[in-house]
Amino acid sequence: MAAPETQLMLSVGLIEKDVNADTLWVWCYPSVSAELREVLLSKCCLRQDSRGLHTFVFGQFRRTWYYISTVEVQEPTALKKVQFVTHFSIVVTTKDFNPEKYAAFSRVLCRMYIKHGSPVKMMEGYIAVLTKGVCQSDENGSFLIKDYDVRKAYLAGSVKDVVSQFGMETIILYTALMLKKRIVVHHPQVEALLEFTRALPALTWHRKDWSILHPYVHLTDSELENLRTCTGYVAGFVDPEVSNRSDLFDVYVNLPDSEITISQSAKEAMSMGKLHKDIGLVIVQSAENADRTDGQIIKDISIKTREILANLASLAEECENSKITLETLKQRHFPPATENFLFHLAAAEQLLKI
Amino acid sequence: MDEVDKILIHSLRQTGTDVGKDVQSVKHFTSELIVEAVVRCLRVIDPALGSGLCPSLPPGMSARFRVGMSLAQACQDLGYKGEIGYQTFLYSNEPEIRSLLMFLVEKLPRESAEASDQPAGKSALLQKSIAAQIKAQLALPWLSPSCRLPLLCKTQNPGPSHSFHSQTLSLPHCLKVPGKKQLKGKPQNTQDPHNLLSLDFLPPVTAQPSQHASVPASLLEQHAGELSAAQEWENEWNSQGLLSRLTPEEYRSRKRARLQKRIEEQLRTAAQTRPDTLGAHGSGSDLTELLQSFGGSPLIGDILAKGTRFTHTEKFTFTEEPEKAAKQMAAAANSLPSSHQSEEDLQARQQEELASLQQQLQQLSLSLEEVGGDMRQLTVSIHQVSDELKQKELSNTEEEDSVRVKKQTIYLLPDGENNLAKLQALVEGSAERVVNLAAQWEKHRAPLIDEHRRLKELCSNQEIESSRKLSEIKELHEKISQSAEEAKKKEGLYKQLITEFENLPKDISRSAYTARILEIVGNIRKQKEEITKILSDTKELQKEINSLTGKLDRTFAVTDELVFKDAKKDESVRKSYKYLAALHENCTQLIQTIEDTGTIMREIRDLEEQIDTENGKKTVSNLEKILEDYKAIRQENSALAAKIREA
Repeated sequence: MAAPETQLMLSVGLIEKDVNADTLWVWCYPSVSAELREVLLSKCCLRQDSRGLHTFVFGQFRRTWYYISTVEVQEPTALKKVQFVTHFSIVVTTKDFNPEKYAAFSRVLCRMYIKHGSPVKMMEGYIAVLTKGVCQSDENGSFLIKDYDVRKAYLAGSVKDVVSQFGMETIILYTALMLKKRIVVHHPQVEALLEFTRALPALTWHRKDWSILHPYVHLTDSELENLRTCTGYVAGFVDPEVSNRSDLFDVYVNLPDSEITISQSAKEAMSMGKLHKDIGLVIVQSAENADRTDGQIIKDISIKTREILANLASLAEECENSKITLETLKQRHFPPATENFLFHLAAAEQLLKI
Repeated sequence: MDEVDKILIHSLRQTGTDVGKDVQSVKHFTSELIVEAVVRCLRVIDPALGSGLCPSLPPGMSARFRVGMSLAQACQDLGYKGEIGYQTFLYSNEPEIRSLLMFLVEKLPRESAEASDQPAGKSALLQKSIAAQIKAQLALPWLSPSCRLPLLCKTQNPGPSHSFHSQTLSLPHCLKVPGKKQLKGKPQNTQDPHNLLSLDFLPPVTAQPSQHASVPASLLEQHAGELSAAQEWENEWNSQGLLSRLTPEEYRSRKRARLQKRIEEQLRTAAQTRPDTLGAHGSGSDLTELLQSFGGSPLIGDILAKGTRFTHTEKFTFTEEPEKAAKQMAAAANSLPSSHQSEEDLQARQQEELASLQQQLQQLSLSLEEVGGDMRQLTVSIHQVSDELKQKELSNTEEEDSVRVKKQTIYLLPDGENNLAKLQALVEGSAERVVNLAAQWEKHRAPLIDEHRRLKELCSNQEIESSRKLSEIKELHEKISQSAEEAKKKEGLYKQLITEFENLPKDISRSAYTARILEIVGNIRKQKEEITKILSDTKELQKEINSLTGKLDRTFAVTDELVFKDAKKDESVRKSYKYLAALHENCTQLIQTIEDTGTIMREIRDLEEQIDTENGKKTVSNLEKILEDYKAIRQENSALAAKIREA
């Protein structure tokens, strides 16, 4: 039954832009808090009319995922009932991460709105999906929730592209993700940002945790406050000012220039040695192999990760309470970088004795 | 002609020619007078040209002849187009003299041009008088102090000059805004809104500076400062303030807030650039400490990353250690015995001390490492713990949710099938209801949104209107200021011109001249009209004459032929033909005679005019004079020849 999945959708909203270039939050069901509304209005590209139209944008705020589809209204539609509207966006907020599913769904809703000119039809579709998991779409067939598996969403990001852009430096991203550090990515275009950042959590496949992903963040107080409450995250910024905010990141990725910088405070924790070189080689070789798909690359990486974690777990077994201490690590006489890495990794995996 | 002569005589008198009071017209000018007038005019027009000429006519004839020639040459050099020679001066006649004098008077430079060229305002007048004074003072020769007269003492003494030294003055600000009690540097008096009290306690500005000599400097500076501040505010208000549509107070407060924000940002970036590693020194850390000492504002607290609380405490503990070590070293230095002991003992003691110090150093570095390690451990554990906490909280909420749902399902489980069907029906029913409600809400919502949009549009239109009005207001302001300036200028000019006018000599009445000129112009215009009329009449007449003549010829030709044709046959017709020819000829003669009469009358008129002009030329008297002068020259020639022969 579609029951556990349908509870994932939280609300649907409608933002319109009219001929006076005024953007309004026009309608929503069931309800959206004022703070979230503010955030969504800022994410929706209708407010910044200098940039182009971003057809589909998604992000996370306080563990709520939002998916925004924007459409420009062409002249002869039923929407002429709402005569002043030039563009509108449909926002779907949910608890889970599945951009493809919600992109398709919001497209369906957009077409409904254009055709009927009233949000009531949209709501019918929304409730149909909520209760039954199916929605009749005017064009090609119906929209079924079960067509969109969450695993597919996780694997949709292309790790191959990441590795091809950064080569051996991908190991920095891998280390940062493993140690639950804060990564900030910058790119002036939202779409490229979303594409890139959604692939990063796949490097730590054993956790399957996409809640660390905040792909589209602005430098506003409420959003930064939200980021500060998370221990480790992958955050994407369009604003180039973020490179000056060294308090926000441990690793800074400048996507257009393909540069990765580690901030001073994190350099000590992110020191890398032979172990990292090995892992890096595995990643690069796997990605360069043209025959292997993204899924297979991720599998290779996760195999290596699991080795390390198994090692760590065995170490933990030997200690009291199955918790590792620094002394136990020191006894093994690992090289200092590896020891450092394992120490921090233990903390990340909650195997460290407090 | 009288008026013209009067003007000529007046101008000549101005050039310096001594024209007697009884001489009223050019007719009465003697040769001497003419020569004097011309020479003086030439001197005024062109000093180079006129300097070689003498105003008085020499007695000798040849000399006179020469003078006449040179004057004629000079006038021709100036550009006089008429015929001129020595005879114009020696044997003058009225029209020639008049035209020459008019030419020269026109050539006279306009003396009054300078004064009216630059209608200067009050400040320019002041500057001019200052310049004149300074020029006069500079023109005076410098005398040594002992020889100076008291008047010169004042101007040539270096005493009065002081260096520009200004002091800040205190002015009660409440001169403009009643109620403000901003008294700089004065103890706060009672809460007295009236400024009378403060005026009593504040000494006048002339008494405020410590040195009397710096009073003007201080006043100038104060005034310049206030003026420039006021101008800047004017400019800013007119350019940005009006655009922002705020009242002046609101605008000022917003500006202040904006500036404060910028200062905060600058401080924040400066504080952030300090590297927050162990043992960081430099101005950045001092800045953060300073800011913290201000009361630990939350902004600054956010800047410091979480972990650096440890770096801070550590730094403080470490700053104590070197101090302790330094103290110890000082104590050790003091305990060095100053008495003379053997070298070896001294060395041994030094070695001991060195060893102990090194030990201490090792201990310190060990403890440093330990603490570093502890810190790392703690940081990492904090991360881990907070992570765990977060995860546990999340799983908690999830579990709670699922527990709730499961409870409900368990409650409904016994009658599973039914309840399932009921639930589905319930869900469908609520879905329908919700959709219904949405439709109803839509009915309310759509018009409200439309209304909102319409009002927004109205608002923006009004804004456009108001910005347009603002720009109009600005233009009007500019126009007002421009007109005010112009009015001021014109008033100054008017006053100046009035004073000048009062100072002008009143011997010639310009209004009479201008009235007469306008009259003449009117007359000329009328005459021109009449002439044109007459001309057109003449043309008409001529045309008529021509057409009649033509008609006559044609008629005669036709008649002639006709009659001639019949004349061959009939005798009476022949006679009538003869009569016709005779008639035609007589009439032609008549017409010819009339035309001749007219021509002769015109000739008579012309000749009469010529006679008049010739009469005016006083040719007879001039001829007599010429004969006399010729005789005189001949005599002179013979006298000179005799002298040469004798010598």
